[in-house]
Amino acid sequence: MASVSSPVHGAAPGRLKRLFERYPFLPALVILVVLLALNGVFAPNSLSFRALTGLLSTYLALMLLSVAQAYVVFASDIDLSVGAIASLVNVTIIVVMQQLGGGVPSVLLALAVGLAVGLACGLANGIVVAALRLQPIVATFATSIFFTGLALYVLPVAGTPAPAVFWRTYGGRLLGVPFVVYLALGLALVLYLLARSRLATQLLAVGDDAQAAYQSGLPVTLIRIKGYALCGLFAALAAFCITGDTASGDPLVGGKMTLLSVAAVVLGGCALSGGFGTAIGAVLGALIIGLINSLVFFVGTPSEWQNLVQGLAILVALMVGIMVSRRARA
Amino acid sequence: MTKLTLRGVSKAYGATQAVRRGDLEIAPGEVHVLIGSNGSGKSTLCKIVAGSVRPDAGAVLLDGEPVAVSGPQAARALGIGIFYQELSLAGQRTVAENICLTDLPRKAGLFVDRRALAERAQRYIALFEDVAGDDFAADAVVDRLRADQRQLVEIMKALATEAPVLIFDEPTSALDRAQVERFFAILRGLKQEGRSMIFISHRMDEIFAIGDRVTVIRDGETVATMALADTEPAAVIRLMVGEKDELAAAAPQPAAAVASGRAEPLLEVEGFTGAGFHDVSFAVARGEILGFGGLHGQGQSAVLRALFGALPHSAGSVRLAGRPLASRGPRETIRRGCAYVSGDRGRDGVITGRPILENVMPIHYLRNRLVLARPGALRDKARPALEALRTKFAGFGYPVSSLSGGNQQKIVIARWLIDRPSVLLLDDPTKGIDLSTKADLFALIRELAGEGLGIVLYSSEDAELLANADRILVFNGGRISRELVGDERTRYNLYHAAYEAA
Repeated sequence: MASVSSPVHGAAPGRLKRLFERYPFLPALVILVVLLALNGVFAPNSLSFRALTGLLSTYLALMLLSVAQAYVVFASDIDLSVGAIASLVNVTIIVVMQQLGGGVPSVLLALAVGLAVGLACGLANGIVVAALRLQPIVATFATSIFFTGLALYVLPVAGTPAPAVFWRTYGGRLLGVPFVVYLALGLALVLYLLARSRLATQLLAVGDDAQAAYQSGLPVTLIRIKGYALCGLFAALAAFCITGDTASGDPLVGGKMTLLSVAAVVLGGCALSGGFGTAIGAVLGALIIGLINSLVFFVGTPSEWQNLVQGLAILVALMVGIMVSRRARA
Repeated sequence: MTKLTLRGVSKAYGATQAVRRGDLEIAPGEVHVLIGSNGSGKSTLCKIVAGSVRPDAGAVLLDGEPVAVSGPQAARALGIGIFYQELSLAGQRTVAENICLTDLPRKAGLFVDRRALAERAQRYIALFEDVAGDDFAADAVVDRLRADQRQLVEIMKALATEAPVLIFDEPTSALDRAQVERFFAILRGLKQEGRSMIFISHRMDEIFAIGDRVTVIRDGETVATMALADTEPAAVIRLMVGEKDELAAAAPQPAAAVASGRAEPLLEVEGFTGAGFHDVSFAVARGEILGFGGLHGQGQSAVLRALFGALPHSAGSVRLAGRPLASRGPRETIRRGCAYVSGDRGRDGVITGRPILENVMPIHYLRNRLVLARPGALRDKARPALEALRTKFAGFGYPVSSLSGGNQQKIVIARWLIDRPSVLLLDDPTKGIDLSTKADLFALIRELAGEGLGIVLYSSEDAELLANADRILVFNGGRISRELVGDERTRYNLYHAAYEAA
């Protein structure tokens, strides 16, 4: 009935606006498609199934780390220790697997330990930020140094190899389909479920207006701690992928991914001020960063220029994303 | 039997005593009206019941049992729901999510039961069917809604708690007639169910239409409770005013002659319209102090900020000293000689952490287009301005945050005195300031008026307004509802106009 009475010329932009409100990652999706096309132009091979699964196995870790970041950003928090958590989990599972001989049971046990470590790190962050009320940026920066210190204690030098069964599974195939494809599908399912969880809505409500959420009777502190805990779990999952991809332990491997995860979250349409965004957007953001890197390579940029071009390309992607969504929501 | 009892409740924020002695008794199945002037403690009292403010002393009894309302969660568990005056909505979430936010229906413990959510939300949305507007839908994002629709969502959210005790702190301020009627019909239904409601409104006709009993609060103290059927608006207002009325009326006689002497208008505002105010017209003469009165948030601040150019306006014309003032932003209005002092020093005033000298100088810089700073010369300019206000400070190099709130405000005002403005807009300038500073401030304001400045003063403290303004415009719902001149400037008339009593 409402559509009948509303003026005709206002209907189309209104629908677009609603589309962007419901799917804030649409600009990211557009950028992603453009980047895929560009990749295809410069290196037709890069669109083959094989190349795409290669891309997936390299960037699955960043995707998971960005998802981790997204859940804290929902509540207008930030976690600058995701990379350090990933490093700590990486070296922890490597050492556990090595100590226990590297068989299948030892791998499973190591994964359980890794998840527990990630969860513990996330809880520590949550308590420091939400319960002790320290500034998220500074507090998680401090815990990141602390976690890195722990990682260096667990494995002082990079290089201990992962057991063959671990990385062969990650890089291998199951029923003729690359294992990472299953992982990606699993991730999609988990994100689908989490998007419907009470916690996701509560995190967004807290990020929207923490005072209003508190006055509404939401347990704000607990919700923020849960967000950090979830973040820690996803950082641990990211560490599993890093370990599968690099097949070795490195106490500093995740550090440089921290800010990439923040960039991915923003590219995916989340507001750093909280209250707005989707986890799937963060995944798309991570893929954009991955595709930019591979595009820079395929275009044949000289190695000394690669960083510069990557940086510029990410800036451009950010601008396009913001311009598109601003126009759509205006 | 009483459902809810407040006994001797008090709450202080720093030095200001928001509630001194709050007593309240709510019976089951009644709509209990709370009434009082600005800052009398109505909202604080409500927040104490709802758990979002913890009282310093006193007892809260529910069904005769003393209870500790330790937080909003505890209040919800005890069966207390609240409509917040400033709303408690998550702007980026949908209407349905907001309605059910406090208790999202769950599926398998972990997930939101979308169908139950939609069903529950629909129950409350249906209550306001036909009056909420065409574009009001369960999946609409709250930030995209109009003010009245957002207020409806907050009402639905309060109703959705299904609590036996419901508090409505000014739920009708943005609603139109039909929406209010519908809301009252719902309240009557809830009364039938035996639920207890606290209701705050600034419209006297609404209070008498829906209320059963009224409790009058004055200066944080409960003055009286009576049945509305046995009383009339004038009697209620007299209770709000107290015995001080004659005093307040007698005091403000000072320089009314100044204004009447020179009738030349300095600032002329015609049909001024924007967010929160509508069709506001007035003129300020040289030497006149024009007061803006009425309850909080009726558009007074918004008008001043829009005049200064800090907020946009959509229609109307402003003339300053005969020339149109097309405000494109504060830079331009400042250069034209417009000064604005806000009571919210943290947001609009002091530059925290910077020295006092830097805090006095920004306007001088702007108006004279200074590029280089010579501290010596600037100090000589700053000193007389600060002395005029009797500002106490240790030295120009000390950070502004080393001063008390009152002295910080003096620094902010001194800023405008170095190069005399022609119009001074005061937006509740004495918020959180001690009494002696207030006296200094108003003495200076009167002096400035004597020098020919036009001054607009909005104060949330009615006594200040009555004592200092030569003329008072009472705001209600973003419009000027009444002008009080000369002997009409009494507390009684002010409240009468503010509450739109018939």
